[in-house]
Formats: sequence, C-alpha cells, structure tokens
Amino acid sequence: MGTGKTSLVLRFVKGQFFHHQEATIGAAFFTQILSVSEATVKFDIWDTAGQERYHSLAPMYYRGAAAAIVVYDISTMDTFARAKKWVQELQKQGEEDAVMTLNFQFILRNPKLVMALVGNKSDLDSKREVQVEEGEEFAQENGMLFMETSAKTAENVNELFYEIAKKLATASPPNPSGVTLNHEETQERRGKLFCCIG
Amino acid sequence: MHGAQSKRDLAMELQAQLPILRPSIHTRRANLTVKFQDLYGFTVEGNVDDVNVLNEVREKVRQQGRVWWALEASKGANWYLQPQVSSLSEGIVLKSSLKISALANAMTLKKLIRKGIPPVLRPKVWFSLSGAAKKKSTVPESYYNDLTKAVEGKVTPATRQIDHDLPRTFPGHPWLDTPQGHAALRRVLVGYSFRDSDVGYCQGLNYVAALLLLVMKTEEDAFWMLAVLLENVLVNDCYTNNLSGCHVEQRVFKDLLSKKCPRIAAHLEALEFDVSLVTTEWFLCLFAKSLPSETTLRVWDVLFYEGAKVLFHAALAIFKMKEEDLLLAHQVGDVINIIQRTTHHLFDPDELLTVAFNKIGFMTTNTISKQRKKQEPEVMKELDERLRRLNSLREDDR
Repeated sequence: MGTGKTSLVLRFVKGQFFHHQEATIGAAFFTQILSVSEATVKFDIWDTAGQERYHSLAPMYYRGAAAAIVVYDISTMDTFARAKKWVQELQKQGEEDAVMTLNFQFILRNPKLVMALVGNKSDLDSKREVQVEEGEEFAQENGMLFMETSAKTAENVNELFYEIAKKLATASPPNPSGVTLNHEETQERRGKLFCCIG
Repeated sequence: MHGAQSKRDLAMELQAQLPILRPSIHTRRANLTVKFQDLYGFTVEGNVDDVNVLNEVREKVRQQGRVWWALEASKGANWYLQPQVSSLSEGIVLKSSLKISALANAMTLKKLIRKGIPPVLRPKVWFSLSGAAKKKSTVPESYYNDLTKAVEGKVTPATRQIDHDLPRTFPGHPWLDTPQGHAALRRVLVGYSFRDSDVGYCQGLNYVAALLLLVMKTEEDAFWMLAVLLENVLVNDCYTNNLSGCHVEQRVFKDLLSKKCPRIAAHLEALEFDVSLVTTEWFLCLFAKSLPSETTLRVWDVLFYEGAKVLFHAALAIFKMKEEDLLLAHQVGDVINIIQRTTHHLFDPDELLTVAFNKIGFMTTNTISKQRKKQEPEVMKELDERLRRLNSLREDDR
C-alpha cells in the first residue's frame, strides 16, 4: 500500500511525479520501449493495486509475465515483510507457468521469471526502517536484481528498467533466423512486466 | 431539501457558474487538447469535439429536467416515489388491487430513468428508489451521528488505509480534495467500515463514496446510499476479503461477452487477452474511475432502479461500440488503448446507454442471478486453492 508502484512506473514511462497519485484499483497498464545494446525491449507493464485483498486478482496479471518488480517502501518495515511473501509466491508461480506452457517457444527460451526487488522512496533516508543490506541480502538469496529507487527524485528509476531490459535481452537472445514477425512477437512476450506490491 | 447551503452543494454551484466553453477558431483548427471542468467539477482533458458534446449534454440535462417537471405537474408531486410505482422493478408481484395507472406510471418511470434523472432530483430519487430511505427508517434517527461519534479517534487497518487514500481520491477536485471534502469522505468510509467489519474498507469504495457525496445533498444520505449499494444492490462479497463477489461478476461477464459479442470474445481470446484486465476496475468502482462523471451517474441512475444488471449492460456496450476497432487490434496494448480512449471520452451518456439497452438484448436480474450461482463454486474452489498454496508457502517458511 502506497509503496509508490504507480509513481515508479509513471516516472519511467512519462517522466512525471505526483505527490498524490490516484489509488490504483485492479491494475493500470503502461507501455514503454527501451533500447539496450543487445536488443530493443517493449515493456507491457501491469501496475497492480496495493491493498491486501487485491492479491486474489494478481494471478491474472502475472500469468505469462517475463519479469516482475516487487516494490517495498524503505521507510516502512511492514512493506518489506510483505514483499518477501510476494517473492515466494512469484517464484512458485514462475515454476508452474513454465511447466504449464512448455509447448510455447518463448517460455522454453526464458523459463525463469526475471525478478527485481526494489526499495522505493530512497529520498526518505531519514525515516529509513529497512537497511540497504537487508534488501540486498534477500535479493541475492533469491537470485533477484536489487535497487533502491526514488520515484520522486527519479534516482535509479531508469537504471532499474534498463537492468531488467538487459537481463531479459541476455536471458533470451533474439532469434538468429531474424524473422521479424517472430522476433517482434518474442519481444512483446518478453516484455510483459508485473509490478507488484510490498 | 434545497434549504441550507453547504459545502457539499459546491458541485451544483460550480455547474451554474461555469461558463459554457466555446472553442475558438484556433483550437478548432489545431484540434488541440483542452482542459475543462465537467458538470460535477472534474477536470477533464479532451478535444474540441468533446467540449461540444459536453455542452450538448448540459442542454439535454436541462431538457430532461423540463420533462420531469411536466410529469410532476400532470401526475402530482413525487408521483415516482409511490411504493407501487417504485417497487415494480424489484419484481414484486402485482396485487390485483393495483391500478392500471400505477403500472403505466412504473413503465413511464423506467423509461424516464434510462433517459436520465436531472441532477437536482437525483438525491431524492436515488434515496427513495434504491431502498436507502427504507434502510434508514429501520434504525433510530440518530444512527449515523451516533456511529460517527462512537468511532471517532479509533484506529484500525481500515482507517489507516482510508487516511492514506483520502488525498488520492480524485486529487485536484475543487471540493473533494479540500480538508472539508476529505473529512466528509473519511466519516462516511470509516463509519461504514465499522458498520460492516467484513467489508471494512476496500480500495475502490473511496471513489464510489466520493461520487455519492457529490450527488447526495448530505453526508448521511451518502452513507446510506453506500450501505444500500453494498448490502442490497450489488452482488454479495464484492468488496470483502478476497473480493470473491467481484471474481464471480467477472466470470459472469465473460460468459455474457461470448454470448452477446461472440466475435469480440473469440478475437480477444485468440490474443490471450483476459477481459477482466480492464473490467475489474469497472465493477469495483462502478465506472467512477473510467467514465466521465455525468455518464457514470447516468449508469448509476439505472443501477439504483433496475439493479446490478445495468453494470453488465454498460460494460458489454463499451465493447460492442468498438467492435470493429477491437477486431483489428492485434496486441494487448492496442486493446487496452481502444477501451480506455473510449471510456474516457464517453461524454455523451446517451451514446453509451442507447447501445447498452437497445443493442445488447434483454437481460433480467434473474438470469444474472442464475449465472452467478453457476459460477460461485468454481470461484470459491479457485480462491481456496490459491489460499492453500499461499499457506503452504508460509509453512515452508517456518
């Protein structure tokens, strides 16, 4: 709740920041294209609602996702605890998805969900409840990217998505046959991004 | 009821004060995006055509007001509030003693409401026809005041979430986003969270309650409208802990879409596009976050008289209106853009409601109820499985 998921995405997609961002209901959808040296990645981003009871809707958004960002607020310990639970669920789901959709080429190429753990509101350092090391350690244990960001000051926001794009691009290199249609389709799939709560 | 002016009347005052925006030649030529305030004080962005449509809507609202006054003159004051007239929509069996004139009045009323209740009459008509007045009459007069006093200063997970959401509910609105607006919305939401602890507070209700506050003249009436909505009008458990009612509605909607708009349903399925991705918000916010305010309220006019089936009518209509565009879309992002552009620019409520009632076909509350019963076991099974899986994760954790 209020960890700044929408703000993070809006900063990346539109370069905007609002102090009072409207509460997200269900989920909001955004797209953004990012070029890294390996490829051009088109992100289809699902930014989901934060309140606990909305979790029952989450599978609809993360089904088939190639990457997930789990966000917590560094100034609220509670959000970090919730982020950890999310990571567990997503890992489990990632395995199940891979099993269920083995016949799809893109899943075969990229069987593992790319996950990032993000401590947002790094501008609130004076109110910090979650230490950088705690986030780092948990991310490392779970094979996740880790970054502290501030949607407010834009610190590390583009870097975060850039790192994810790089990881996606290297996790499944473009089809060498170079069939454009396929290639585009692969990119589209790869870019589906699930941005969730902490 | 038009007596004491309160801050809550601001929306109406604004409406009267707002100059009718006439597009200049420059804007017409450049087709620029302009910002303007709509009937209820919301700032919206649109092009010149949108401004023109909105002005036409204002005129239609005035005309519709004249129709209601004329009927009042011929049928007597408050004719539409007679119990025989207002209860017909609930499917109550007609008593033989009921006069034909009452039946005729009920038919007239149904048609009239589908064409829109004039904003000044909305508080009175909604309050009576929705059953809110009846609900209120079953408790002591002081219920709302006692409730708000009793819960003052209490802190619960619900109140914390409400406090967090107050400035995030229609930020920038000239009344809702003021200390008074926040305080009123807070009392309604907090009060309700104590009335029904199963619901407590669910995000989404903030938008619904905010619009109710703008329409109803008093905070207390907004509270009762929220109560009747959650307890009688909408499907059960729409907002409770795992939103099971909302899951049921989504499944019912998917079924209806395949029946009423088979081409769209098949096309979206081929794209692996789950329509719930866009419709969940509609059903939880009752379109308050997606459609322009007057269009939303026109849907609510019918909602409070004919019941929750109107939500399905409206949702199906949005897809139906864009059938050709949707069939040409080949990416998930395109589908979402089409739908969002459509809803955000539906400034003419009749454009939506004409399709909703004339092109979707007949649906009764009964058929919807049957559909819900059919879907419930599957939803419960799915939610249980998920819960079990999450619990097993937590066990592993220990």
